[in-house]
Amino acid sequence: MRQSQAAVLERYTVLNGDFRTEPYETGWATEARWFVRVLEASTPDTKVVLTTQVSPDGLHWCDAECPEQVSEGEGMVSWPVREFGQWLRIRGSVEGADRSVKVLIYLTLKD
Amino acid sequence: MGSPTTDADTAIAGHLRRAMLDADPALSRYNPLSRILVFDQFNSGTHGWTELIGNHDGEGNLDTVDDHMRDFRPPQLSSCTFFDVGTHGAMTGTYALKVATRPVTGHTAVAIRRLTMAKKGRVQFETYFTYKAEAASEENGASTQAGAGEWDGNIHPSEQQFGAFTIATDICDDRGERYHTVMRYQNTDLDNRFTRRWMYPVVPEPTPREHLEGKVKLGPTDDFTAPNPQDWKPVGESQSFCYNEVPTKVNWHYLRWQIDTEARKNIELQVNDRVYDLRDVPVPVYEERYDSLDNLLNFYVSARTHTGVRNFLFLDSVLVSVDW
Repeated sequence: MRQSQAAVLERYTVLNGDFRTEPYETGWATEARWFVRVLEASTPDTKVVLTTQVSPDGLHWCDAECPEQVSEGEGMVSWPVREFGQWLRIRGSVEGADRSVKVLIYLTLKD
Repeated sequence: MGSPTTDADTAIAGHLRRAMLDADPALSRYNPLSRILVFDQFNSGTHGWTELIGNHDGEGNLDTVDDHMRDFRPPQLSSCTFFDVGTHGAMTGTYALKVATRPVTGHTAVAIRRLTMAKKGRVQFETYFTYKAEAASEENGASTQAGAGEWDGNIHPSEQQFGAFTIATDICDDRGERYHTVMRYQNTDLDNRFTRRWMYPVVPEPTPREHLEGKVKLGPTDDFTAPNPQDWKPVGESQSFCYNEVPTKVNWHYLRWQIDTEARKNIELQVNDRVYDLRDVPVPVYEERYDSLDNLLNFYVSARTHTGVRNFLFLDSVLVSVDW
């Protein structure tokens, strides 16, 4: 039986401007998939730009070779990641100075 | 019809049982009571340890979860990897369970294991653990956060940036009588000065029902186990551990904690070479009775930071045994 794990990294968190999720250890896993649920958005066209980041030590980060994702308004976006090494996180940005989103962010992992 | 069991038979059975435990390298480092309820080696998964969260309403609206019980962070399977040496690994294999706080003063991370009792009696929680504050980086700024001092070549500044870790239960008997047994190792006080002592709370933990009834309202970083620092009392002599000078060296410590769910009492705590008699440590009981929790037997572990630096509690493995 393969191992798997789902972690809720943000729960009903209101985000604005630039943000980063907490570091999460993924060294045991081969594949990962992010799910970002936007529960509420200030406007139907509020955009969130989401970039996957990787790290060898949980301290120093760079962008993964993984296309940037953009969510617009409410709903859910998801994307897979592989060959990510020891840690994963999201570097994100809510576009617009007066805009915010309320999110649930899941990281799902499988060996 | 067999012959009656003699004291000699009992002694031989005890020796045989211990010999069988000793034949297994993983079990030989433990001292279980007569029945092993769970044996969690985190090198093979999370074994039911999950993030604690408060209760929510009938619509699944997580805005109804208490502020102080909605961000206890998901536990991680950690290879104990650090910036200076790479992967350190666990005591058993590569992976340990890591409970990690946010880098926010007062933030608490909690992992919980949910069981029930088939009978009342003695219950023992054993683990091999270690704890660390996060190493400094330009991004996290740990070297300038509260608690950071001068490096003297022995004591590392990060050691004073680890607040406390806690082991606790949530127990409810078949009459709805609910209580917690709790032991906390307070490494530093709220001003980041070493205290290095074991503590226990004299009040029961505030619950979601008490919040719904308007009795309590805690903030996101309040100490959910017992919010008022005055409600924590020290027990026994202070105890220092092998932090091993820097935040990137991992030495595993043995902990054995025994309680009695028949007598509703603490019994004793052993941590490495120290044994604390806990029989006089009170166990506060909720005044109200609880439904839907018959024979509840939960264990939780938490890490709590007293500064703006992530705190980590690592468990290599956990063994829970009973005398049922």
